Amino acid sequence: MKTLLVIMAVVIAGAAHADGIELKDPKGDDKGPGTYIYPTDTAYSRGAFDLTKASLTDKGDSVEVKISVASRIKDPWRSKTWGGNGFSVQMFFIFIDTDRKAGSGHKAGLPGLNVKFAEGSRWEKALIISPQGTKRLTSEINAKAKKWKKDIVVPTSVSVRGKSVVARFPKSQIGSLSKAWGYQVLVQSNEGYPDKTDLLTRRVNEFNGQHRFGGGNDYNCDPHVLDMLAGQAKGAAGEATGQFTQLKTYKCDDDNPEGGSHATIKMVYPGG
Amino acid sequence: MSTAKARAILVGILVSATLLPTLAVADLINFNLAGQIYTKWLYRNNDNQGVLSYGNPFWPDNMAGDNGVSSEFQLLVEGRVGDYVQAGVRIKSRFGALWQDWWENGDIKYDQVENTSGESLGMNRAQYMKLRGYWIRAQLPIPWMDALLIGSSDLGMFNPWTIGKIRFIDRDNGKGIFVQGRVHDQYLRYHAAVIALPKLWVGPGWSTGVGDPLLRIPFYSNDWAYGLKLESDPLDGWSMTLVGTVTLDSEIDMTDPDAAGSLYPTCQDELGNPVPDCAKNGAVDTLHRYSNVVATFENQIDVWDGGSFNILAGFSHSFINERLANNGVRDNAGVFPLVYDTVNGSFVRVRAEFFDVADGLNFKFEYFNIDEHFMTIFGARREADVLWTDGFMEGGQLPTLNLANEFVDFDEDWYESIVGWHGATAILSFVGDVEFNLEGTFITYNTNAQNRDTDNVYPDFLHTDGYTDIDIYDYANVFDRGRDLRSVYRQFQDRMSIIARFDGVWHTGKLNGLDLGWKFKYIYDSDNREDGRDDDDYLGHIMMGRIWLTIPPADGLAITLGGQVDYWIEDNRRGSREQGYSDDTTFKVRPYVDISYAYQGLALRYRLEYIYKDAQRERDVDRTFHVIRSKATAEVSW
Repeated sequence: MKTLLVIMAVVIAGAAHADGIELKDPKGDDKGPGTYIYPTDTAYSRGAFDLTKASLTDKGDSVEVKISVASRIKDPWRSKTWGGNGFSVQMFFIFIDTDRKAGSGHKAGLPGLNVKFAEGSRWEKALIISPQGTKRLTSEINAKAKKWKKDIVVPTSVSVRGKSVVARFPKSQIGSLSKAWGYQVLVQSNEGYPDKTDLLTRRVNEFNGQHRFGGGNDYNCDPHVLDMLAGQAKGAAGEATGQFTQLKTYKCDDDNPEGGSHATIKMVYPGG
Repeated sequence: MSTAKARAILVGILVSATLLPTLAVADLINFNLAGQIYTKWLYRNNDNQGVLSYGNPFWPDNMAGDNGVSSEFQLLVEGRVGDYVQAGVRIKSRFGALWQDWWENGDIKYDQVENTSGESLGMNRAQYMKLRGYWIRAQLPIPWMDALLIGSSDLGMFNPWTIGKIRFIDRDNGKGIFVQGRVHDQYLRYHAAVIALPKLWVGPGWSTGVGDPLLRIPFYSNDWAYGLKLESDPLDGWSMTLVGTVTLDSEIDMTDPDAAGSLYPTCQDELGNPVPDCAKNGAVDTLHRYSNVVATFENQIDVWDGGSFNILAGFSHSFINERLANNGVRDNAGVFPLVYDTVNGSFVRVRAEFFDVADGLNFKFEYFNIDEHFMTIFGARREADVLWTDGFMEGGQLPTLNLANEFVDFDEDWYESIVGWHGATAILSFVGDVEFNLEGTFITYNTNAQNRDTDNVYPDFLHTDGYTDIDIYDYANVFDRGRDLRSVYRQFQDRMSIIARFDGVWHTGKLNGLDLGWKFKYIYDSDNREDGRDDDDYLGHIMMGRIWLTIPPADGLAITLGGQVDYWIEDNRRGSREQGYSDDTTFKVRPYVDISYAYQGLALRYRLEYIYKDAQRERDVDRTFHVIRSKATAEVSW
């Protein structure tokens, strides 16, 4: 009975805080800088990394983030059996610029994404939605992203609803949502056996393979991002071009596999 | 040496020095190595030595047991042959040698009871490296073809109803030729495969001929399965998938005079009379020992943000050649993975999900109807789940009699057959700081029948009665663990079941992420068995309660403390038509602790549990169990 009362209290509390941010992205732009193609394994189904919508909603003590893609979210690797969250191949990073001050916040993206943020839209908070459970995720953050740890927020719960993944984050670690903030959602793929420096991210190579995206570069310089927000995040077709343009701004060093410079991307500011 | 020559050599050295690092880099880029070491500790308060809780039930091996520690190593080598051609192999050591087996090398010195050679246990303890998988993958410049794979595959491109994904430990054992491509990215994509049948398990008697007493020369080298999957997205949010598979087990026609060991090598019978239509032609005819055709058609509809719908239907045809496949239903005590007859079956499964019917509240409904004759010999054997219900067992429900609940440890999932299940499941779920699922499932059985022929046609797997105890399980059922999870046919059955479940977790947000979890489950299971008799009616009330809490004292570390209480009241749980049945009750308590830790590439896990079981049996001696057991694993990958 007590449990039911707790549940009812949570439901009522959630209904009282419905304000939020809604961001859209055009379909068919899950190609990174315009050239990326999926791995050949059947786990990577058509549209699986094609971001269509992202919403952040105040739920009282929590912020609920709902990310939608173009096809049903599947769990071909049975994530629940390895402590996961009910899906297998996707991974989402939500970066937030809470102060909109040039030079304030973190410029570099998280390890494995191979992107950096423009001076005017550095990030203060990064929310991660991964198929991996909290234990593995926090362990990886400690190992590979320790210097950003205090600004990385991991969810308290993650669930799958059709074409969407819904995650709840402690509001105490994010703050009250604002349309004046900048937001960026990067779509990646969960890699259970990542490179030593990659935060559970899957790499993009020049040619695709069974579990490798293709259309990029074998050196570690190209952005490992399949889809992202661009423009005003209204879902307009032209936003795909904006995404391609931003993600093409990387340079590789033919003499150094780890050299070159990463692509520079911008936040989306719903408040204009 | 002339100046010009010296200059040329110097330039050559400089050029080489410049190029060498580049070439080395290129090699590293194109040659990937991945290693893994896995170690497992098992402990139980008994005298059984080995490192696998449940080994091979038919051919007992000397690596299974409850006390021991063993390690394995695997090496994954992948390389790029060309821009669009890749190759790879997986090499792995044999698991099973205990740390105490210092000198075991597979060379059994002598086969005596007293053996002090240190080389006494054979290849299961030799830790030899074995080629487990190999593949060549190419994206050929052929229209409509995306990729060609030759070699190993986990067969994950089809579905559990047709050709199932191979269990993880056997993931590279399946070999074949696989082609995938698209005529149109949206409207028509395909997978086609020709797969070598494993000579064990995909056939009558878990064999494609080996060991069958009706065969003189098992001929398994031409046994293949064929699969085709077509996918289309006719509209945005609507996808269709058609899968068709054929499994063929062929044997030599021993009446063919060209066959080695032919019955009629000279085209004359035992009396010297000519055999009609018998003539040598330099070719050997084959006959089908077994064939299985399975087709499914699935529609996934996601056109509405508020819900999702799925309709899956299928058909199977199962043919057994009684001249070439021995009747294991009759001769193997009813333990046989198929109905011993030529049968056709079908199934349908309909799913509807409704999201956010209230804030955070989701509802889903599933209807399922699997025919009593639906047979899929190559369907998934474990590590898949085709129904939403928690089922009788928590692990998974699969539509085959060919389940694999062996080569597992005590903490792994169990799988039950759903052949003949007809019913529906409704689940109400809430997601928030508190998460819960409330399930109600109702099942009747298409396998309900009176005087079914379980002696010759329908396998009953010998043990047909009683709720299955997967905590204290034994294949031979000497511990009275109940019904075999493959047993769906009974001579007299009139069964109906109801499953109710309420489970969830409360993310308290305290103590760095303290979670409290619970699960309560009740199963009402009735079987009136034989019409006209009241004294044989089975009625089971199965009650289970579990609570647990998880705390993360440090990043990457999780400690779970939990406890489970089971109470089963079963009227007429076990017995026979002739001798009658007994009313039994079972009480179990299981406290446990689970610790897991992930640090960089190191993953550690430890589970310790105590089981107290008190089985009050009306017609037999009561039984009490005090079991303490643990399992620990350490894994590194690099």
